Amino acid sequence: MDYVAELEKDVRFQEAMHSCLNCGICSAICPAAEFYNYDPRMIVTTVHRRNNDEIEQLLRSNTIWYCGQCMSCKTRCPRGNAAGMVIQALRLLSQKCGFFTESEKGRQQYGLKKTIGESILKYGYCVHPILVKPELHPEQGVIWEWVIQNRDAVYDRLGANLYKEGAGAMRKIHQKNLDELDEIFKVTGGHDFYNVIEEESKKKAQEMNMSTDENNNEYLLHVLTYNSNEHQD
Amino acid sequence: MIDVLIIGGGIAGLETACSLQDLGYETVIVEKEKTIGGHLNDWDTLFPTHRPASEVLEHYTEETRKRALTIYLNTYVISVKKQADGLFEVQTSRDVVFHCKSVVLASGYQLFNAERKEEYGYKIYDNVLTSADLEKRLKNLQGEFTTPTGVSPKRIAFIHCVGSRDEKSGNHYCSKLCCVTAVKQAIHMKQICPQADVFCCYMDLRMYGPGFEEMYREAQEKYHVQFIRGRLSEVAENANGSLQLKVEDTLAARPSRLQVDMLVLMVGMETAKSTELFAQSCGLECASNRFVKTKDHHIGSNQTNVDGIFTAGASIGPLSVFDTVNHAKSAAFAVNDYLKAMK
Repeated sequence: MDYVAELEKDVRFQEAMHSCLNCGICSAICPAAEFYNYDPRMIVTTVHRRNNDEIEQLLRSNTIWYCGQCMSCKTRCPRGNAAGMVIQALRLLSQKCGFFTESEKGRQQYGLKKTIGESILKYGYCVHPILVKPELHPEQGVIWEWVIQNRDAVYDRLGANLYKEGAGAMRKIHQKNLDELDEIFKVTGGHDFYNVIEEESKKKAQEMNMSTDENNNEYLLHVLTYNSNEHQD
Repeated sequence: MIDVLIIGGGIAGLETACSLQDLGYETVIVEKEKTIGGHLNDWDTLFPTHRPASEVLEHYTEETRKRALTIYLNTYVISVKKQADGLFEVQTSRDVVFHCKSVVLASGYQLFNAERKEEYGYKIYDNVLTSADLEKRLKNLQGEFTTPTGVSPKRIAFIHCVGSRDEKSGNHYCSKLCCVTAVKQAIHMKQICPQADVFCCYMDLRMYGPGFEEMYREAQEKYHVQFIRGRLSEVAENANGSLQLKVEDTLAARPSRLQVDMLVLMVGMETAKSTELFAQSCGLECASNRFVKTKDHHIGSNQTNVDGIFTAGASIGPLSVFDTVNHAKSAAFAVNDYLKAMK
């Protein structure tokens, strides 16, 4: 596949990828670069060389998944580039090609699809307390477990109208609106995109000997909680 | 009838005036400030020789005095009109209307206002200076050098390309003199504060002139100035007034934080506001960098799109003293050709 040609079709790539003078201002401001073994400037330079093999390597790597999409790079670049937007284009291509399952950070796309991705269609919220399962989010700690166990009482006390008809925060979203969302996903290719993530991830799960059953999704638990700790210097 | 009216009494205007006077033309200089010499008045020493700027200034003061040049100080030009007969009518702030055969625009440049790069902390943090501030500080130095908060600096950083080569500032061009000025100032700081570590954060070092590369080498070999290839992203102030810089060492591919006691921003050159206004008033074409566009880049750098209006010095773009003096001399010859053809 001609990855360069694919990237050039992406409007974000067209808008955010001019010439790079390699000044490093994007990496200097980048919070992810401070944390991970990561340098957004190097991504831009690699793409700038328009070498198909190098780009494929990027698409299969952890590198493009370190970015937190804060777009600080865009605020600083003296040439009007935005490394964060170039990365968006690379990520989409990696997802389309199924390369995302080849890296630890890329595999987390499955976790995002299963949580935020499905939540928006099912509840009309990207993040909904009912779906933030304690076992998938150990970082939330024991307090979150307690909140979930006492969900109705806690949310009533906070003045929310959790998953009930009528007005108020966290209210149930009307089926008519959910149907509309579903339609948007149909028309824009959102569903197809989800299917690619699902299929590619299932292939990888099989390869890794993990189940993806609804009731015992080992692979989901793995991608969301495993850390090889190989991402920092 | 005046032969040549020269706008600007900096070195470009003075050199052009002296040369034209010697060729036998009647010249008049109008200068908006209360003194001649322009930016040179604010500079301590000149690259690459480190000679005092005052020496060059004294030279021009003396040459001006010898020729008894007519100079109107505290006077700025309001409008220039080219009349049907090809002569110019120049209106000034003095209620004097000049009639002249030709005009030389020697109105120079202005420095980039570093406050526009808010993330660099100029006028926010006390120990952030511009290159021009440092020159003034050095010029007026008595006794030991200290930072604005009174600290004897242990670590000093110079930041290249502030307001140059930067889409965010609206200045795509290279100001070309900041690199060599930074190297000169870095050496100067090492001479007066030998205990200090001095860093230059650069993108590309443009050591284009005679003696520049040699000075850069001297800065590294003799003075141990450290050159870091990377552009500053932002500055924060520590509790004690020292500064924290976020910059990537791009040659090591490593984002890093640099702690310094004083930060010097190498501000670039922009077209002078007065040049822009003047250009508008008489239909002079400007280039995309807002400096005056010359008629021919290679063989007509003193001519403009308006016959009879010439340029001398940095009104056409960033120029050094060396470049300016030469450009001003060639302006005199261009005017001479024009006036001879007029007769």
